[in-house]
Amino acid sequence: MRDGAAPAEDATLPALIAAVARGEQAALRGVYDRQAARLFGVANAILRDREMAADALHDAFLKLAARAAQFDPARGAAEAWLAGIVRHAALDLARRRGREMPTDDPGLGDTPVPPAALERVAASEEGRRLRECLLALEESRRNGIVLAFVHGLSHAQIAARLELPLGTVKGWIRRGLLQLRGCLA
Amino acid sequence: MSGAIPEAEREALAGEYVLGTLEAGAARAVEAALPQDAALRAAVERWEARLAPLAALAPPEAPPEGLWSRIEAALPPAVAAPAATIVPLRQPAPARPDLSGLWRGWAMGSTALAAGLAAFLLLRPAPEAPARLMTVLLTQQDQPAWLVEAEGGGLRLAALNPRPVASDRVLQLWALPPGATAPTSLGLIPPEGRISVSPGAITPQPGMLIEITLEPPGGSPYARPSGPIQFIGRLAPATGS
Repeated sequence: MRDGAAPAEDATLPALIAAVARGEQAALRGVYDRQAARLFGVANAILRDREMAADALHDAFLKLAARAAQFDPARGAAEAWLAGIVRHAALDLARRRGREMPTDDPGLGDTPVPPAALERVAASEEGRRLRECLLALEESRRNGIVLAFVHGLSHAQIAARLELPLGTVKGWIRRGLLQLRGCLA
Repeated sequence: MSGAIPEAEREALAGEYVLGTLEAGAARAVEAALPQDAALRAAVERWEARLAPLAALAPPEAPPEGLWSRIEAALPPAVAAPAATIVPLRQPAPARPDLSGLWRGWAMGSTALAAGLAAFLLLRPAPEAPARLMTVLLTQQDQPAWLVEAEGGGLRLAALNPRPVASDRVLQLWALPPGATAPTSLGLIPPEGRISVSPGAITPQPGMLIEITLEPPGGSPYARPSGPIQFIGRLAPATGS
């Protein structure tokens, strides 16, 4: 990568990602400066281990440097695209260590989805619709989906945490997803 | 994994992939299938978009000091990265065909380049003949897919590893000169090897990004790619020629 000029302070995130695609390292730094705290939070919610979350962010930014050209602003928000890269990097690490993190981890909180927390989801129009559709789900399905997406829990871990049989959880999550899809359509 | 996955199954698989509940083997299988399976890829993109707002439930947190330095140290060094993808040709480039005819019709040479599709794309001649430029376009799995050579203002493509394209999709070729913000279409690459060109004020130059996207019939409806990038590479001076 070349250094490139420092990105303009008001450069949009999609513009920075486009500059990363052109090999401008300064633009990658710009993405890091703006998004690292949010993305580190996403990784740490899944891994609940700051060192591993840092490894996930490291992997994700190298992937971003190599794959920035694949970002298409017409197909989704830059923030969501970046979070997707980070989530999958964190999930890869979680899978590699066998997802042995305890499900009674205090980092998970007492309730998987305190209703008030869902307010944070509703910051955008898409988020408001998603919250409404999540609230329409049966509570266990909703909790299962949030535990998986936000905290990277496997079927087995969700089953242990919600004290439900594994087969039940698998079916619930699958049906919950399809129900969400129908609700959001 | 092919396009033969039933729709409901594909939706559930894509949803669980995005949710993160797939086991390692299944997640890897989905990742491996994504570049070839446009329907699965679209399903994954839709799930990413549906569930994205949930990421707000993860509280932001400052990363450890020094993380950026670690990332920076692991980045590919300047210039060296594209050069690493260069594969010098052992044989000299095939003789230039009659350019005036090519300009109108896009002749396809069944050239010495083994693997089938080869196209010669005439671009605006460079004011001064630059050195020969090359790149190898890679798939998302970093597999070499196309050899691209630029010489005297023209661009030559040869498939290294021909693979079928879905019957309802076409491949479109794009160039992004250094400093440009949007790629310029260089035309479609249909299977039979004839190509319609939109001549633009594009001169191949070192650092120019060359990419091939998967597009609906007739090409992207926009002045920029609408479909996923299938292959990408960056022109650099040819070595060993």
